[in-house]
Amino acid sequence: MANGLGPGADLAVKVGLSAVALGLVCLGLWGWGGPWDDYSTQRNIVQPQPVPFSHRHHVSGLGLDCRYCHTAVEVSSNAGLPPVQTCMTCHSQIWTNATMLEPVRQAYATGKTLRWNAVNYLPDYVFFDHSIHVAKGVGCTTCHGPIGDMPLTWKSASLYMSWCLDCHANPAPHLRPHEAVFDPNWRRTPDTPSGEALLRAYHIHPETLTDCSVCHR
Amino acid sequence: MPSLNGSDPGLDLVALRRRLAGTRGRDYWRSLEEAAGHPEFARLMSEEFPAAEGWSDASIDRRRLLQVMAACVALASVSGCGPEKTRKQLLPYIREPEGMVPAVPRFYATAATLGGFAEGVLVKHYQARPIKIEGNPDHPASLGATSHWSQALILSLYDPERSQMPLQRGVPASEQAFVSALFERRSELLRTHGRGLRILTGSVTSPTFAAQMAALLRTFPEARWHQWEAISREAVADGTTRAFGRPLDAVLHVDKADVLLAVGSDLLSWAPGHLRYARDFAAKRRATETGGRMSRVYAIEATPTLAGSVADHRLVLPPDDIMTALGSLAMAVKAAPEGFAPAPSPWLAAVARDLVAHRGAALVHVGPELPAEAHVLVHAINEALGARGHTLDMIEPVAVGAVNQLGSLGELARDMNAGAVDTLLILDVNPAFTAPADLEFAGALAKVPFAVHLGPYVDETASRCVWHLPATHDLEAWSDALAYDGTASIIQPQVRPLYLGRSAHEIVDLLQGSISPDGMALVQNTWRGRAPAGAPFDGFWRAALRRGVVPGTAAKPVDVPLRGDAAAQVKLPAGAPRETLTVLFRPDDGLWDGRFADNGYLQELPRWHTKLVWDNAALIAPRTAERLKLRGDDMVEIAQGGRTVQMPVWILPAQAENCLTLPLGFGRRVAGNVGHGTGFDLYPLRTSDTVWRAAGVSVKPTGRRYHLVSSQHEQTMAGRDMVISAPLDQFAHDPDFLHKMDRRDPEAPTRSIYPSYDYPRYAWAMAVNLNSCVGCGACVVACAAENNTPVVGKEEADRGRLMHWLRIDRYYSGEPDAPGTYFQPVPCMHCEDAPCEVVCPVQATMHDSDGLNVMVYNRCVGTRFCSNNCPYKVRRFNFFGFTRHDPRLPDAWNPDVTVRDRGVMEKCTYCIQRIREAEIAADREDRRVREGEVKTACQAACPTQAIVFGDMNDKQSAVAARKASPLDYQLLAELNTRPRTTYEAHLRNVNPELEEE
Repeated sequence: MANGLGPGADLAVKVGLSAVALGLVCLGLWGWGGPWDDYSTQRNIVQPQPVPFSHRHHVSGLGLDCRYCHTAVEVSSNAGLPPVQTCMTCHSQIWTNATMLEPVRQAYATGKTLRWNAVNYLPDYVFFDHSIHVAKGVGCTTCHGPIGDMPLTWKSASLYMSWCLDCHANPAPHLRPHEAVFDPNWRRTPDTPSGEALLRAYHIHPETLTDCSVCHR
Repeated sequence: MPSLNGSDPGLDLVALRRRLAGTRGRDYWRSLEEAAGHPEFARLMSEEFPAAEGWSDASIDRRRLLQVMAACVALASVSGCGPEKTRKQLLPYIREPEGMVPAVPRFYATAATLGGFAEGVLVKHYQARPIKIEGNPDHPASLGATSHWSQALILSLYDPERSQMPLQRGVPASEQAFVSALFERRSELLRTHGRGLRILTGSVTSPTFAAQMAALLRTFPEARWHQWEAISREAVADGTTRAFGRPLDAVLHVDKADVLLAVGSDLLSWAPGHLRYARDFAAKRRATETGGRMSRVYAIEATPTLAGSVADHRLVLPPDDIMTALGSLAMAVKAAPEGFAPAPSPWLAAVARDLVAHRGAALVHVGPELPAEAHVLVHAINEALGARGHTLDMIEPVAVGAVNQLGSLGELARDMNAGAVDTLLILDVNPAFTAPADLEFAGALAKVPFAVHLGPYVDETASRCVWHLPATHDLEAWSDALAYDGTASIIQPQVRPLYLGRSAHEIVDLLQGSISPDGMALVQNTWRGRAPAGAPFDGFWRAALRRGVVPGTAAKPVDVPLRGDAAAQVKLPAGAPRETLTVLFRPDDGLWDGRFADNGYLQELPRWHTKLVWDNAALIAPRTAERLKLRGDDMVEIAQGGRTVQMPVWILPAQAENCLTLPLGFGRRVAGNVGHGTGFDLYPLRTSDTVWRAAGVSVKPTGRRYHLVSSQHEQTMAGRDMVISAPLDQFAHDPDFLHKMDRRDPEAPTRSIYPSYDYPRYAWAMAVNLNSCVGCGACVVACAAENNTPVVGKEEADRGRLMHWLRIDRYYSGEPDAPGTYFQPVPCMHCEDAPCEVVCPVQATMHDSDGLNVMVYNRCVGTRFCSNNCPYKVRRFNFFGFTRHDPRLPDAWNPDVTVRDRGVMEKCTYCIQRIREAEIAADREDRRVREGEVKTACQAACPTQAIVFGDMNDKQSAVAARKASPLDYQLLAELNTRPRTTYEAHLRNVNPELEEE
């Protein structure tokens, strides 16, 4: 009596089960790795901006200090976004007719400000403070990546909590001398004091840095 | 949870009294029910602490629990998936304001006023956005503290229900339309020299407004200026006039008063300068800091006041007897002739002896609700005690254009009814609600063809006037005001008017014919004339703005002799029949005269003594309730002279017999969503003759019940030594007495099974001095404003879901008729061995390296295990997305504090945002945080410096000193939680002569 199953049934079941198993493995892998890919973290993705501002040109090319524009970085939690007036200090003299800069001139003339798209930002329940990081020898490029070489700006770190904690649990390798904090091209040299020496000099207590309340209030 | 307060029919007050009569000392009872050991109380206990019933009854089994928890985890992880796609935009300034640093707060000085009197404040701004109010340490009426009213200002600033546009007969109109209508009237008035022009304001201390009015009355000589404050201080002015021959104000030096007698006094609650007085008062009560010396405080009162509740001896008397007592006292201190009054009772005689023994360091203070005769007597008594020049000074009156307000308002109402008023400007008062009922002001308003109301809300008056104009908020306009001692402050706007608003100055200037009134120019004009000659005005002006105080403006004492026969001329009341009922009107602790009805913080601030929220009630003594067979929550009809109101009763210990206290301000009929329909309007009962007191009242039960909500039973701590109180003598003889009465079970383990922490850097801690706390509630509102805690409403409050991170518990001891009262602020204890931390399944509440017990909101899944395990019941759970439904703009929140959503536990953080800010600032400079750099919101607001916060690791810190005090104790020490918040035991400076009272 026919049992209703053809000769391929066995194979079909095997293939089916394998597919399900494979699917589960893929799902697992995606679940494991997915949050870390650039799509999820938005790393290495250039955000559209009203003006194609180039850090490479201004920082590496012209040698502007970070603090020329981000004036509050040493005294405030917020590094500060340059007012349109800062752009116009130079651009009222040079590149005065550049089409690229039209939105800046428009904003300055009309008072309707530019709308930059944020590249790096944190959820509202995280209270990050720029000033203490630069005071304790964490350089701009430590978090912002090779900002001096970015023709357009992208996010270079995931800004996930685990990424924060990597450094908060073991800050020494990421520290640099005070004078190098704003140097976009800084590299550790044999003369550089060791991370541990800097840790002591800055009076950093890593054992307190992983408290929840350091960032969450 | 149902309200109690004797609401159960079976509650036997007689049995209660019998039980309490047998107990002495530290038998603290939190409410009548608790003391009665009543079954209702037991039921409530089991509702509050179901765990106490035993776990065996629990119907949920372990398997089901795990299933539910697994589902929670699964759902939580689903919601956490995917990148955040909403793009955040950053908008730079075009030109950055000078000195502006993003995310760094700036403070600007200004002043808040209540009844015209200024209290200096500093407003904290984030990028030009007012966020929080702090006291101005340079201002004599603040010294860095604030009242709960000032703290709540920030909520009303952003209130979307504020009036937003001019209304003509209730229909939105343009301001231009109003201005042209006003100018039309003005040309008419110029012809008639202002006949028919009336201006009605509240009490005024503003020199600019005074100058403007003087000029206006020159332009319109026949115009009249009326003033009306429902909570008037007229008896004070009247009494002074009768005692000294002309109006004067008294400035008290409470810091010099070793013996103080407070008679129905508002010294610590709402007298002008009350914050300063409270500070000076408390400094003399901290025996551990003054070498064991303490002032002695007596109180005589008919209804509990803050001063009476913290007094060492309180005599509760009906109002008439208070007058007689004052007469006897005047006689006893030789301020009145022999035979002037009955011989003093032994209690009064002892007080008189104590006062006389401290000549020059004694002070008697009487509240504005007592009649002028009481004030005359008190002036005479103070004079006889040599108080002048020592514990008090007389100065020229601070308020301007002081008139007999009641008479003035009556005259206005009469003229309105007679049709003699054709133009009426009502500036920032609400007479249609607050005027005495017999004047029928609201009806008279209809007869004024051009009635203009300027006010922050569309209220009862606005809806009856032809024109309503939105008034600017106190933080939006230029003005000036004087403090209780005459010190002037410039009020500068903190933000441009959020809505179309005008200030009273601008309206008066419009009437003077100005086309574009400029508040700043008006105020500057006043001060140009008063600035020191020779120096540039600009420097003077900027300095005054920056400091919040115009230097050198404090009034000088004047030496006016007291009339010799002042006391003798006072006629004491003949003894009233005992059994008739008297009604006392009082401002509400939160809503004042009703003007704060739309402020959720103040509606929800538990009232000082009753702990009621969102309602007022007729407060009645236990004995009187017994006699009238009334229970709490019974609706009664109160009738006097043909006028009636219906309201619930609330049984209040320490209330005089046959005397009902009615807190005004509730029952607003035209108000926003917050203020509308809360409580009961009592103004219909209040006539010109019965402003503060109505005798011959009848009270009859209606048979109906009402549901009052009190925060009192929200978290019960039954039968334990929460407040420890002892006589000063005991402390003097044996400073260590407290430690000898260790309440821990000697058998109980004192060590935790968990490893202990060490705190190499900071150990933040708080100490609360119960000798200083007067229970005013400024800290509670300050905490809410700082920490974005939501207002939950009456219904949720009833379920025990008030969100206050800091509450003030109120305990009684002794006889319900005249009990001892204790106030105890309870924030999170930040235990070293915190019971909450070990039960959190997701480690959302953690111990940090500074010893703080921190809440990590984004980890919290809302199991509420922590709250169940907290013995202090200080944790608060967001049962709803309260903050999501907050009608305010997001700009109104404090950006330093996470705004919590539904399903998240929260609690006092010791203002961790302020700690971190100070730590980061110190770390940047590679130094330690200095003493005083971190002030919690409650500590900063506290008028009495009862709350001290700091680093325990710093042995020089104030908090370390308080912890080292022999009076320092832990709440529920027997639980070995080792709290970081500790209390200093309460001391009473008992008069040995009265000890056996």
